[in-house]
Amino acid sequence: MSDSPILELEKVSMSFDGKQVLRDVSLILHQNETCGITGPSGCGKSTLLRIVNDLLSPISGTVRFQEKDVKEWDPQELRRRVVMVPQEAKMFPGTVRANLVWGLRVHGMAADDEQLKTILQEVQLWPIDLDGNAENLSGGQKQRVAIARALLLKPKVLLLDEPTSALDTESALAVEKTINDLLSDYKMAVLIVTHNKEQAKRFTSKIVELENLTEAS
Amino acid sequence: MQLDLFALLQIPEQYIGMLQRYAAAMILLAILLMVTKWQGIGIGRKLIVGTIRGTIQIILMALILVYIFALSNLIVIFGVLTFMAVFAAYTTKSNLERIPGVMRATLPGILVGALSVMATTVALQIIDWQSSPGEFIIPMGGMLIGNCMGLTTLVIDRMWSNAQKQRPLLETALALGATPKQATELSIRESIRSGLLPNLNRYASLGIVSIPGLMSGMIIGGVNPLEAAIYQVIIFIMIFLSAMIASLITSHLFLREMFNERAQLTVPPPEL
Ligand SMILES: Nc1ncnc2c1ncn2[C@@H]1O[C@H](COP(=O)(O)OP(=O)(O)OP(=O)(O)O)[C@@H](O)[C@H]1O
Ligand SMILES: [Mg+2]
Repeated sequence: MSDSPILELEKVSMSFDGKQVLRDVSLILHQNETCGITGPSGCGKSTLLRIVNDLLSPISGTVRFQEKDVKEWDPQELRRRVVMVPQEAKMFPGTVRANLVWGLRVHGMAADDEQLKTILQEVQLWPIDLDGNAENLSGGQKQRVAIARALLLKPKVLLLDEPTSALDTESALAVEKTINDLLSDYKMAVLIVTHNKEQAKRFTSKIVELENLTEAS
Repeated sequence: MQLDLFALLQIPEQYIGMLQRYAAAMILLAILLMVTKWQGIGIGRKLIVGTIRGTIQIILMALILVYIFALSNLIVIFGVLTFMAVFAAYTTKSNLERIPGVMRATLPGILVGALSVMATTVALQIIDWQSSPGEFIIPMGGMLIGNCMGLTTLVIDRMWSNAQKQRPLLETALALGATPKQATELSIRESIRSGLLPNLNRYASLGIVSIPGLMSGMIIGGVNPLEAAIYQVIIFIMIFLSAMIASLITSHLFLREMFNERAQLTVPPPEL
């Protein structure tokens, strides 16, 4: 059943304090697919990712992961498979290693340094001092730790919110390539929010363009 | 001239000195109010209300304390402690009025934390309470309840303001599939540690910098100083244990106020 959708959004709408942010957003994503989300600032791109990750519940509409409503998933189980790298991905207090294995640890899993090295090489962050303080990393380094941290969970759906905004083009391309390579390994789909039209064009197989609803409502 | 006024009001002589002392202390309170206002700390109203309320409460307490100390029925004594714990929980709620669901989290914490430790101490005969149960159990229980109240207030205040200020960090944790407990572990641990710090300082300087009330009272009351000193160490251990139990229970329960059943953060962003 490889052609059944892995992620399905059906007429998802969202509003905050009566102010509508998303209206009837629908989307179907299969494994190996990458979908870009673009639109002006404040149009609800991050909100949409949060809804898919079940950090927010929409006011109407349905999100299905593996053909099951996200509301029926155990939230932690869902988020282990549908992992989001937030726009403002933060480092937890501690070392780079502790940050990388943070996601694994909450699910009772672990990774050895060899695995960490592999994933760090793939996001072009090797060599790095695994015992260094994560807070001392640069913005771009932190972004890559955040992506590596999510990839270590081997997600089925990877939600990326402006994941390469602090990276130079070369590193951004490397990250894109890594994710592309992992798509089939992990049988994964990617939903990526980006301001960068170039990135959306070269990296994604489809694009959802959101618009600002504030004037309309 | 002042004395004439007192005479006019027919205030008994023995109270005059007392009232004068109280009035003098109000000068200190006025200074305190000015400093807090000047520094914009914004607790002036609480200090004034607290002074009025506290004065009335403690006077009433002083008047009935004689009877309460004379209590010998353990059930009645623990009933009094329960009442005190409920009042303590109510106090945490009114001191944290901007935060919802405080009492639901602090009441079980304070009740279980303070009363279980007190009951254990009584059951194990760690303190020699039989001679006058009320005189031992009520003030000691009161100290435990007071400390539980302080620490639970602090833990909730920290958990709430961390959730407001560190939303992105919490979201990062949740988005990786962390449970609310895992996502807040660190801030809970930190707030318990910093909440215990003042008492740890007092503990470390015991007898040199801090001459605790319980011991002083016992010595004044005629208890052998050595025995009073041992009691003081015991009460500190009891305080730490009860405050720890209370804050663990409270922080656990308070997570339910901060997250819904879908493990979504429900704490609103900080108000302007
Ligand atoms: N928790 C919230 N409470 C109230 N309003 C919110 C909340 N989250 C988002 N909003 C509002 O919803 C709208 C969309 O926000 P969102 O962060 O999704 O935009 P975005 O498209 O990601 O913008 P950007 O490109 O700047 O990141 C904004 O107007 C924002 O103020
Ligand atoms: Mg955004």
